[in-house]
Amino acid sequence: MKVVSNIPVRGWRDRVFAAATFFFVCVFIIFVLTLIITDVFYIDKEAVITVLTSKFIRHALWMSTWTTFVTTFIALLFAVPMGYALSRFRFPGRIVADAIVDLPIVFPPLVAGLTLLVFFSQTALGKWIQEDLGIEFVFQPKGIVLCQFVAAASFAIRSAKTAFDDVSQRYENVALTLGCTQWGSFRRVSLPLARNGIIAGGILTWARAFGLFGPLMIFVGSFRGRTEVLSTTIFLEQSVGNLEVALAIALLLIFVALIAVTGIRLVSGSAQVKL
Amino acid sequence: MIRTEEIFFRIGTFQLQRLSIEIATDQYFVLLGPPGSGKTIFLECLCGLKKVNSGRIYIDGREVTALEPRARDIGYVPQDYALFPHLSVEQNIAFGLRVHGHQHKETKAKVTETADLLGIQHLLSRGIDGLSGGERQRVAVARALVLQPKVLLLDEPVSALDEVTRQDVCVQLLRIQRHLNLATIHVSHNLEEAFSVADRAAILHQGILQQIGSLDELLRRPNSEFVARFMRCENIFCAEVVGQGAQGSNTKVKVGDIQLQVSGQHSGKLTFMIRPEDVLVCPGSQYDEKGGNAFVAKLVRSRDCGGYVKVELDGPLNLVAHITAGRFAELQGEHHPDVIAVLGPENIHVLPR
Repeated sequence: MKVVSNIPVRGWRDRVFAAATFFFVCVFIIFVLTLIITDVFYIDKEAVITVLTSKFIRHALWMSTWTTFVTTFIALLFAVPMGYALSRFRFPGRIVADAIVDLPIVFPPLVAGLTLLVFFSQTALGKWIQEDLGIEFVFQPKGIVLCQFVAAASFAIRSAKTAFDDVSQRYENVALTLGCTQWGSFRRVSLPLARNGIIAGGILTWARAFGLFGPLMIFVGSFRGRTEVLSTTIFLEQSVGNLEVALAIALLLIFVALIAVTGIRLVSGSAQVKL
Repeated sequence: MIRTEEIFFRIGTFQLQRLSIEIATDQYFVLLGPPGSGKTIFLECLCGLKKVNSGRIYIDGREVTALEPRARDIGYVPQDYALFPHLSVEQNIAFGLRVHGHQHKETKAKVTETADLLGIQHLLSRGIDGLSGGERQRVAVARALVLQPKVLLLDEPVSALDEVTRQDVCVQLLRIQRHLNLATIHVSHNLEEAFSVADRAAILHQGILQQIGSLDELLRRPNSEFVARFMRCENIFCAEVVGQGAQGSNTKVKVGDIQLQVSGQHSGKLTFMIRPEDVLVCPGSQYDEKGGNAFVAKLVRSRDCGGYVKVELDGPLNLVAHITAGRFAELQGEHHPDVIAVLGPENIHVLPR
């Protein structure tokens, strides 16, 4: 057992303060758990069997899983260099670029779906990509990834920028004098030091993509066995009156999300308690 | 050897103005100056971390002005040491060697050798967290030295350390510099630090090199009031030449109500200084009216500074003097209200106009 030796001596006011903060933690967690438990008690055995045996739901789970991981991977591919550039380099229009990165966080997710649909169906460039290049996104699985990327990548970019902001430039400067190129100092020093922030951004991106619903309905629809993901399956099931099945899928979605987020945290080591 | 020729660098409203400096291979050079004077920027220009607007930098005769930091053969220790927190002590020291593609065996040998030199071999397996300030400083120096640079740049390397550790580390830095015969630039705002290591020193103020020379020159022959005050001389006065001194080589000047002899030939108005430790303070009973630069003063304040007692004298000239504890006890035992301040003409330095 680790001996915690860095806790200061606390008076009663400190204990009251700690208890007050803990109170809010408890209220929130109890609230969320109550909602989940309500769902658990609402669903019946048949709904669970339906969820576990339906090939369409299995397909939706698979679609949700692979599309969100691909989206997160592509988002991080953009986020790391973009976060570094926005953090380290001063260039004309940097403030505007920084604001544009945040736009998808601010506007309603539905707008992402609408905008993508208009772009690919109404503009010459969009039509050229779809028709001449043959890369089809509208009502296609590829469109799920694109839609998730537009709606969620900003979280990864913002987190990466903040993570690089927190890495002192002095580390890179020393690395340069020790023989590194700028790329070398980035790879050997800045990237490892920004790792936890980048992973946190990845988790946020994944979570946003995993729960995305509105823009997917508009841009790719929800075709059974084709472009259906878990979030749209819930909508489909409840719209035809299968509320128990919809809630059972929601619980499956929560379960997968919990495993994924906890797993990533454990693998990255960011869940370690630093004494 | 490192040499700069008229380095000019501008950032915002601050400018490093035409800095020319030459530091020999075996020299320990201390760059002094108040905070904000441009010392760190100067080091960063030498490293190549800041691109100079004009001027040239040479290391061992090779011009490096346009070279990247990695190609300059410079070892750099920044003010906060900037040890990589994600690496162990050993990995920190080995960092440069790994970047240069040294073999594992060779890297290990060089790291061990450098750690031995700095007495930190017992720290090699440890992480950065939990190292003391002195240990961090030595690891940072080891990391800079392991690549065998031609010049070592230390940016306030001991400013974060306590007094005792600071002295120990300064002694060690000087020992290492002598052992490696390495041109070293040590930036500091602390005079004690400079006295413990410097072969030569310079004073920088607002981006302008005020004076360069031995510490004794900076101390006793400052070229400006700023340098004199930076070297902690508080006895600075304005005077007017009134004639030839008693000896032909002296000049007689009037300052306030008294006349003093100063060495050398001067004319018109001038500013002079005398170091506090050069003011001779005698008991009032020993006053001899025929004395030259001697006058009666009252001892108004005293402070024991450990190695000496700082006394403030109120008289025709308000002086600060540093005297020994023995002399101070003698003055206290006299029960005489006045003391005599004696200023040797040879100790009075006239500041250049």
